[in-house]
Amino acid sequence: MAMVNLTINGQKVSAPPGSTVLQAAQLANIDIPTLCDHPALAPLGACRMCLVEIKGQRNLQPACTFPTTEGMDVQTESPRVVVARKFVLDLLFAERNHYCMYCEMTGDCELQALGYRYGLDHWVYPTYTKRFPVDATRLYFLMDHNRCILCRRCVRACSELVANHTLGVRQRGAESMIQADMNVPFGESTCISCGTCLQVCPTGALVDRRSAFMGRDIETEHTKSTCSHCSIGCGVEMVTRSGNVLRLEGDWDAPVNAGVLCQAGRFDPLYDERERVTKPLVRKKGELKETDWDTALQAVAKGMKGTKAQKLGVLASTYATNEALYLLRKLFSQELKVSNLGLLNKVAPVISDQGSLADIAESDIILVVGTNPVNDQPVASFFVKRAVDKGARLIVVDGKDNGLVPFAYMNLEMKEINRAVELAERAEHPMVLYGAGITKNAATALKKLGEKASFVALELGVNTRAAAALGLNNGFDASAAQALYILVGEQDLDGAPVLQKVGKDAFVVVQASFKSPLTERADVILPMAIWSERAGSLTNTEGRVQKANKAVEPKGEAKADWEILSLLAAKMGKKLGASLDDLSALAAEAIRPA
Amino acid sequence: MQEGVQIADPARRSMLLTALYIAQEQYGYLTKDAIERVANRLRLPVADVYSMASFYSLYRTEPTGRYVLQVCEGLSCHLVGGADRLVDYLQKKLGLEVGQTTRDGLFTLETVQCLASCGTSPAMRVNDALYENMTPERIDELLETLRGYHV
Ligand code: SF4
Ligand code: SF4
Ligand code: FES
Ligand code: FES
Repeated sequence: MAMVNLTINGQKVSAPPGSTVLQAAQLANIDIPTLCDHPALAPLGACRMCLVEIKGQRNLQPACTFPTTEGMDVQTESPRVVVARKFVLDLLFAERNHYCMYCEMTGDCELQALGYRYGLDHWVYPTYTKRFPVDATRLYFLMDHNRCILCRRCVRACSELVANHTLGVRQRGAESMIQADMNVPFGESTCISCGTCLQVCPTGALVDRRSAFMGRDIETEHTKSTCSHCSIGCGVEMVTRSGNVLRLEGDWDAPVNAGVLCQAGRFDPLYDERERVTKPLVRKKGELKETDWDTALQAVAKGMKGTKAQKLGVLASTYATNEALYLLRKLFSQELKVSNLGLLNKVAPVISDQGSLADIAESDIILVVGTNPVNDQPVASFFVKRAVDKGARLIVVDGKDNGLVPFAYMNLEMKEINRAVELAERAEHPMVLYGAGITKNAATALKKLGEKASFVALELGVNTRAAAALGLNNGFDASAAQALYILVGEQDLDGAPVLQKVGKDAFVVVQASFKSPLTERADVILPMAIWSERAGSLTNTEGRVQKANKAVEPKGEAKADWEILSLLAAKMGKKLGASLDDLSALAAEAIRPA
Repeated sequence: MQEGVQIADPARRSMLLTALYIAQEQYGYLTKDAIERVANRLRLPVADVYSMASFYSLYRTEPTGRYVLQVCEGLSCHLVGGADRLVDYLQKKLGLEVGQTTRDGLFTLETVQCLASCGTSPAMRVNDALYENMTPERIDELLETLRGYHV
């Protein structure tokens, strides 16, 4: 590829053709200040902060939108540029209320930082005394129009990244305001509270309620991890301070989601109000009594050892780590020869080799079959809506209430699957997203698309792929189990279908983070750490093995899911892998398709 | 309820201004219902359609009087000593302020920037018609004629 050669501040720089001046400068580590520009969003040129002087151009030009040309000569901090930038900042500071010392973002604000950088020490223009509204109609974050600089990052994030198109700018000039739909309160709009706009806002206009005033960024720690909700496996950053998780952010560098998150990934984990199990408990004379780990594990080992393999049952959550699921299989299925194994939720059948989620963006026709990603894997629904925005045709083969139906070109019933297959056969790059709701016939019909289509199963639990690959989905029968080990983990369910069938005298062990009807029934409860408190790895639906990291200490005496199983194995006299790294490697090996 | 958005087709977006204009003619002003219908018809986000409708002074999202009097406050009109004088005159004569509508629902007074009629300034517009070289006397005549249609 022929590069474009230019000079920036006297330094020779070359950039790929089509680069903007800003991109060329960034490649050469030359810093040009920006405000409206964001690496994940299309350039807009709205704020004029990035103005640079280009030889031969009469006016200063915005670096973020100005294309590079051969031989261009750019100055990024010339006196003329600095005067212009100060002017832009003076106007921005005067436009609304930017009394930083009362702002939640002080210290972390991109506008404030530029004020310091260009030495703004007073207001040049009379400050705007008009008061703008604050919209607090959304549960998780609020919009303070007084701090908004109208950079439109939020608007672009909502349209380009989430494809939700909730936000816009109403009026113009000094009357301009960020608004939702037809100027309705945000909480009554089509907003799905994914918080992507919140994450890109450079000022204190969009504020996370939970972590507001809980510390500046330098006082916090950031730990990268993988979201523990659905099978997409988005990269997250846990922002913590003094052992508390303040908030979750999307990891811009993550390969799957590239920064976006949904409400279930960003906010829900921090608003989980289920009561935790913090100590091991063993039932004595009908009552659950607190005890120590050793006694509890001893009780489990005794109960399990005293039961014949055919009478043992194991149920696992698709939300557990690779390491835990691996140990579960190793201990129960391979060592103890248990064959009555099952998962706590339904799993989609295997139709073909798994494709990649990135294929959604490249596809011209998308079939969504027996799955409702708007509810269950929202980030996948963002990908679908983005593709539809670019012109892909969407066919939803599911009920009329499927959240993607409004965006669909066609909504078919499961028995009409052949029509969908016919249309997909005629397309260049068909994509099939399917879930546990698919029928056998539909799955067979889709096989016709074979090599041509890219198939991705959308599953509920983050680690469904690993659980299925490890063969833990084995037609479980609760009534056949005299001793039952249930790894519920963090999964939110009442367990009614299991509890109805399980024998009265059966010995039930529940490994869980939260109290539930399942723990009520248990004879032994092993307290488990949650997503923020444990390390391990998770396999997303594409088969991508990703790290989950620990940011805070487990609550009470809770332990990581895999640690509990490894202690139990030791108690039962089986030595199964030692360090987390060894376990991760063994688990990844066992999960990898042959 | 908004139907599914499909922003892929630029032809539909290019119809937006015309569609809003037609809707405004039919509804009198751009009601929420009108905006929603335009959005659904063109499969554009409601937010985009509303943004557009509120951006141009040509479109209104609030009800107005039968005749919208728009006095130009642009530079040329201002320099010939028109704008302020005409606005003051109209405010007094109609007993209202800029942005308001007379009680009989006949007149709404607005100011606008440059009607592209600088050569014949001061200019004003009544609904879609342009009036040039305006004076208080000509305003009197104009209002009388318009009122005459409604006795
Ligand atoms: S709310 Fe934030 S991101 Fe949106 S325009 Fe205002 S300052 Fe920019
Ligand atoms: S939270 Fe998500 S859906 Fe709601 S306005 Fe922000 S980006 Fe759009
Ligand atoms: S960053 Fe270039 S104009 Fe805003
Ligand atoms: S300034 Fe009034 S018409 Fe141009």
